[in-house]
Amino acid sequence: MTSTAQELHPHPTLEPGRTILELKGLEKRYPGTHALKPVNLAFKSGEIHAIVGENGAGKSTLIKLLTGVMPRTSGDVIWEGKPATLATPHEAMALGINAVHQEVVLCRHLTVAANMFLGEEDSRFGILQQRAMVREAQKIIDGLGFDLPAHVVLGDLTIGQQQLIAAARATVRGTKFLIFDEPTAYLTRKEADQLFTLIRRLKGEGVTIIYISHRMEEVFELADRVSVLRDGTLVGTRNIAETNDAELVKMMINRSIEQVYHKEHFTPGAMIVETRNLSGKGFENVSMSVRAGEIVGLYGLIGAGRSEFVTTLYGRHRKSAGQILWEGKEVQVNSEHDAIRLGMALAPESRRDQGLCLNLPVGLNLNLPIYKRISRNMLISGAKEKAEADRQIADLRIKTPTRGALASSLSGGNQQKIVIGKWLAHGAKLFIFDEPTVGVDVGTKAEIYRLFGALLSKGAGIILISSYLPEVYELADTLHVFRRGKLVATHGFRSADHEEILSQALAEKQEKKGGQT
Amino acid sequence: MSTEAIAAEKPKRNYNALFGLTLLALLVLLWIILSVSTQSFASANNISNLLRQGSMIAILAVGQTFVIITGGIDLSVGAVVGFATVIAAMLINAGVPVFLAILITLLVGVAIGMFHGFGIVKMGLPPFIITLATLTSLRGIGLLMTNGNSISINNDAFQEFSRNSFVGVPNLFWMVILVGIPAYIFLHHSRWGRYLFSVGSNAEASRLSGVNVQRTIYMAYTLSGLCAAFVGVLLASRIGIGNPTQAEGWELQAIASSVIGGTSLFGAVGSVHGPLLGAFILATINNGANLLNVNAFWQRIITGALIIIIVYFDGLRRRGK
Repeated sequence: MTSTAQELHPHPTLEPGRTILELKGLEKRYPGTHALKPVNLAFKSGEIHAIVGENGAGKSTLIKLLTGVMPRTSGDVIWEGKPATLATPHEAMALGINAVHQEVVLCRHLTVAANMFLGEEDSRFGILQQRAMVREAQKIIDGLGFDLPAHVVLGDLTIGQQQLIAAARATVRGTKFLIFDEPTAYLTRKEADQLFTLIRRLKGEGVTIIYISHRMEEVFELADRVSVLRDGTLVGTRNIAETNDAELVKMMINRSIEQVYHKEHFTPGAMIVETRNLSGKGFENVSMSVRAGEIVGLYGLIGAGRSEFVTTLYGRHRKSAGQILWEGKEVQVNSEHDAIRLGMALAPESRRDQGLCLNLPVGLNLNLPIYKRISRNMLISGAKEKAEADRQIADLRIKTPTRGALASSLSGGNQQKIVIGKWLAHGAKLFIFDEPTVGVDVGTKAEIYRLFGALLSKGAGIILISSYLPEVYELADTLHVFRRGKLVATHGFRSADHEEILSQALAEKQEKKGGQT
Repeated sequence: MSTEAIAAEKPKRNYNALFGLTLLALLVLLWIILSVSTQSFASANNISNLLRQGSMIAILAVGQTFVIITGGIDLSVGAVVGFATVIAAMLINAGVPVFLAILITLLVGVAIGMFHGFGIVKMGLPPFIITLATLTSLRGIGLLMTNGNSISINNDAFQEFSRNSFVGVPNLFWMVILVGIPAYIFLHHSRWGRYLFSVGSNAEASRLSGVNVQRTIYMAYTLSGLCAAFVGVLLASRIGIGNPTQAEGWELQAIASSVIGGTSLFGAVGSVHGPLLGAFILATINNGANLLNVNAFWQRIITGALIIIIVYFDGLRRRGK
């Protein structure tokens, strides 16, 4: 495999440990914001350099400057000893700087092979050499150890698989400096492992890897060095062996790690919702219940059927069998409208696709579920509309210039607060949070968890879906583990250890036993 | 930093209002230039004529804007106008009271809009396709009904309406106000208006927030159909005939007016006053070009160039934000 790898990555072997890229006083100002205060940092070839920080700390700005997406305000970038202007993405790529973004930015309607060679297609006399490209792409994918076909349309793959293709694409272009921006946010553990293997191999070949992640364990698993950004300032750089979780979190947020997972315990009250043998598309035979004052965690890999289960509960999809009992009575939930009327609220998984109207104002997004309440005879009360929006902005400390700013102009964490905030204004008995902290910084996470406590104290129940085990582990009163559309195990608060829960979600042992269940 | 942000926000807002004003300023500027450079532009007669010319496209553009805000398009409005003239003419000639004839014609417009909604929501057809289909078939149905002839309306009172004025302003322009004010309140001050924007921005997020997305889409196309049928009634009154081939290409003028007025074809951006101004800017250009004896062929070229320029600057303004 190593020999094929060398064939496939024909870039000259880089001398490890040499400084490849140096930032000297790199700085970026936007009107009204000092996004990146002068940063001095040197990256060595063959190192995996993690960059951590809260949302809005300046990580994205740094990437944009390095990949030539945006011009810097001042400072120098020294590439292999020579100053580089990095004025356009093309220039960055020509130098060998590439990035793999959190959201896949490829063409979903083209084949995997077409995407891999997008922009540098193999053609003879102007005619695309399609079969040759598919063969070549397949060779690269196989060489990387990804078990994926090159001839299928990209959109047919899962988001995680698309991410792997994006990573593979970046490796075939003579890359010397590769930036990963939260690559594992949508990956399953297996896919993440494949990605890590790829990253380590690139490192072995002398490629510099910049790895941006909110997940500390990944940073410790992969990185050689880690730099911490806070409020646009480089707080410090550490060798990974000489630091720990607690120190990094403290550097990021100026606060200790114990304060993040904020858990309040309440005595469970009346039954809010119960499902009996509920089945639908993507899950089957799920029986569970939520009581007032209780957080029910659903843990599993992406694609294990958790989101499908809650969206069916919420009336987005039809159930195929089973019962839903709301406060003890059987109900039919045929639409989101029915669910909302009963008293459910869903903060969905993807802010961009399901959660927000990005090109509309923050205020409109916050008020969307409650327009009925703040209007009389069809007409909206302007005063109430303003008051409601401003109240949520103040209560949740949403960082926005005004309620009239577009939702797209806010950082990820603040966008997530809008998704949650609109349901706080509406009120509900059952709150369903689907991956509420993906792409959200530690500070906002802590705020969201504190909010859970406030909701519970008012007698609400919460279903919390997370692929991040520490989160559900520390917060859920009852933890259900999903695997392949089935509820496979249930635990009380901290009643099982991480390894046990993880193995139930992965079920390697059970699978080896072979078809007993 | 917060003070900086607040300071930065204020001019942005003015900027937005300014754009509404720039369109108005452009219109006024055109009027001033034409008043100075031609003798007949500023005459009461010509102004009335200009208002009549612009009114019908303005009403179509308002309906079209509702649809475009949801991220759709209604190509059928010109055909609906022509079809509505036939319906109105036939009903009036058959002795149906004018009031009732108008009401029935409007209901036909509503039904056509509902059909568009049905095609989009239930059959999953793209708005472009379903409205393109009704565009051609409505012309065909109209031609079948009239055997390809025009129907002269024998009702003088009905025809006089469009020629008369009220307090010096042509009745047709009053109709713009009649449509414009409720439309403004609907779009900017009712929750249905907010839902149009939210569906155009992100239908899935709206659905999960409890917005009835299907009903919102039905509503947008129904209102567009209603506006078009209303324009059909006005046109029948103005020209005194029912003819299914009338109003050829008006859908494009309506879309152009809407876009000049700041509506984004990607949805979720638009207003009521924008398309109204857009329609009267287009009408002024045509009127002025006629008075200046500009070749009719050139008029089309100028209109096209103007659309590009105005929308380009609008795009710059948006990106600037």
